Amino acid sequence: MRTLEGRKIICCVGSGGVGKTTTAAALALAAAMEGKRALVLTIDPARRLANSLGLKELGNEETRIDPRHFDDAHLTPRGEMWAMMLNLKHAWDELVRRDAQTPQQSETILGNKLYQTLSTAMAGSLEYIAMEKVFELYSSGRYDVIVLDTPPTSNALDFLHAPDRVLDVLDNNAMRVVLGPMMKAGKVGFRLLAVPSGLVLRTLARFTGSDFLRDLGQFMMAFEGMYEGFKDRASKVKALLSSSRTGFVLVTSPNPLITQEALFFHRALEADGIRTAAVVVNRVQRDPRRHGGPDNVPALKEALQLAQIKDTDRLAERLCETLTEQVVLADLDRREIERLRATLAGVPLFTVPRLRKDVHDLAGLWQIDGYLGGD
Amino acid sequence: MPALLDRRLVVVTGKGGTGKSTISAAVALAAARRGKKVLVCEVVAKERVADFFGRPPSGTQIRELVPNLYSVHVRPREAMREYALMILRYETLYRLAFENAAARYFLTAAPSLAEIVMLGKVFWHAAKEMERGRLRWDMVVLDAPATGHGLTFLTVPEVFLGLVSDGPLARDMRTMQSLLADPAKCSVCIVTLPEEMPANEAIDLDRALRQHQFPVGPLFLNAAFTSRFSPVEVASVTRGGPLLTAAGEAADTHESRAALSQHYEGVLREKVARDLVKVPFLFERSFGAQAIDKVAHAIEGVL
Repeated sequence: MRTLEGRKIICCVGSGGVGKTTTAAALALAAAMEGKRALVLTIDPARRLANSLGLKELGNEETRIDPRHFDDAHLTPRGEMWAMMLNLKHAWDELVRRDAQTPQQSETILGNKLYQTLSTAMAGSLEYIAMEKVFELYSSGRYDVIVLDTPPTSNALDFLHAPDRVLDVLDNNAMRVVLGPMMKAGKVGFRLLAVPSGLVLRTLARFTGSDFLRDLGQFMMAFEGMYEGFKDRASKVKALLSSSRTGFVLVTSPNPLITQEALFFHRALEADGIRTAAVVVNRVQRDPRRHGGPDNVPALKEALQLAQIKDTDRLAERLCETLTEQVVLADLDRREIERLRATLAGVPLFTVPRLRKDVHDLAGLWQIDGYLGGD
Repeated sequence: MPALLDRRLVVVTGKGGTGKSTISAAVALAAARRGKKVLVCEVVAKERVADFFGRPPSGTQIRELVPNLYSVHVRPREAMREYALMILRYETLYRLAFENAAARYFLTAAPSLAEIVMLGKVFWHAAKEMERGRLRWDMVVLDAPATGHGLTFLTVPEVFLGLVSDGPLARDMRTMQSLLADPAKCSVCIVTLPEEMPANEAIDLDRALRQHQFPVGPLFLNAAFTSRFSPVEVASVTRGGPLLTAAGEAADTHESRAALSQHYEGVLREKVARDLVKVPFLFERSFGAQAIDKVAHAIEGVL
């Protein structure tokens, strides 16, 4: 894609199940073929990249795609393709260890009951850690381009604003306001009171129980002093994502519900001053009418006769039904793509037809790359 | 084991884009037709079910879509308010505790609190809401968030109880947990597609649901293609000259999708010990009540 030339980071965004991972991997492959050192970063739970690259397992570390896989696909890359699967829990632990000011601090946090849940279940946690990782990899300078397969967020805004939400939680000043009445300043920092006091806290405690509030207070105290580092990086990540070094690729299918989501995301990006670099529409139905030929039962019967094919078991009828169904699908897809094109005026749009087989190796990804060029 | 339609709570889970809303609507429609009063709770970002029946979105107000079939969109903020009010009883107290900057901070920080209150609301409809001396709903269908999230959603009581043991929320989560574990009252279904990723995720989801001992409901294989042509037919039509190019390509496309369907049906039957229900791919110019009706007929066998 010409529109992605010179970009250091490519974010593939879109709803779950639209081929986002495959598209991300195909873009990384294209970059590697052109001579770049390209890394595709994907998210753990679905083990998607492992599937689409024909790899058994990807650890939470950068792994170079074995040149044998390229040989198998009869491809000669001028660069290198790397892949990494992000493990949420692992990545948070790493971050805490790296950022803690003392080993005791990291131990206190890692051992906190609430941290275990918070790091994996907090809203925006996955998005936040993905961005941290992208930033770390980008800063390392090891790659010419990093392709990020974003988490399948239910809401587009979740992704862009995840860092803010996580920062809100880790903001110690806010914590002091909320849990202040439960803490007493002493010589060695804060100390927690056993019983929540203050009307607000007492009311919240009626709702959640007071243990929980105490655990939360302890957790927040453990994070003391780390917030600034988080905040500093988050603002750098934001600046990087909104700069021309980053390209956002909207991945969608022609399903109207999914394109609605894609358009929603597009507008969310615009609201943040970010221009969508490209749209990829996967799994588009090919229109059988482009070949011409008969499309009704009598004409099909005649054509079969001419070709000396026996019209047994209502073959002409079955063919006609199949043609009609695929025409319906092709029409629906075309209408949706036109609508997308009109709304996203000026954004390069690529369509990838529905392939005969699932893509799970480099040859398949390369086939997809065939549809992603030429803008 | 009671039939699916005799359960109080039917949970529909699966990967995003597999058709969970469609299956939820179809199960609810089938139950409503048998005279049951059914509520579909949509706990997803975007409400869909009302639109299937050509009705305006229900939002957070319960609305009747067709006779006996109601829907409601469960959203975190409103669920939080309703739920908190149920416990705190007084609006002023609620405002004091929940509508200030400090509390908002707390609500973002508390892990899964949004999920907890949403699940709490669904639970209330399924097990507590009364009307004229009896439970208001014969059946509640929960259209759960996408997998990954879906399992997290159902295990929320477990996670929460690991952290908190006292308070009204903990009490409710305990009762919710026992409802979710009771095969006489609850059934957790999975929806998937005949494609590699969704099929793999359905297998993972099935395993995880079993580990947590959720009552095993059917596996819906949505958008399945059935073979229509023999290989000989495809080959001869494809080679039948320019007049038959379109027909040959169409037949070949159909058969490749049917082969995928058959392959993943085989994989799923082997790896997932649940009743497998094939729901045919629907070629509809617009997806509405008619389509839901077709799906309701297709799943008749496991109801």
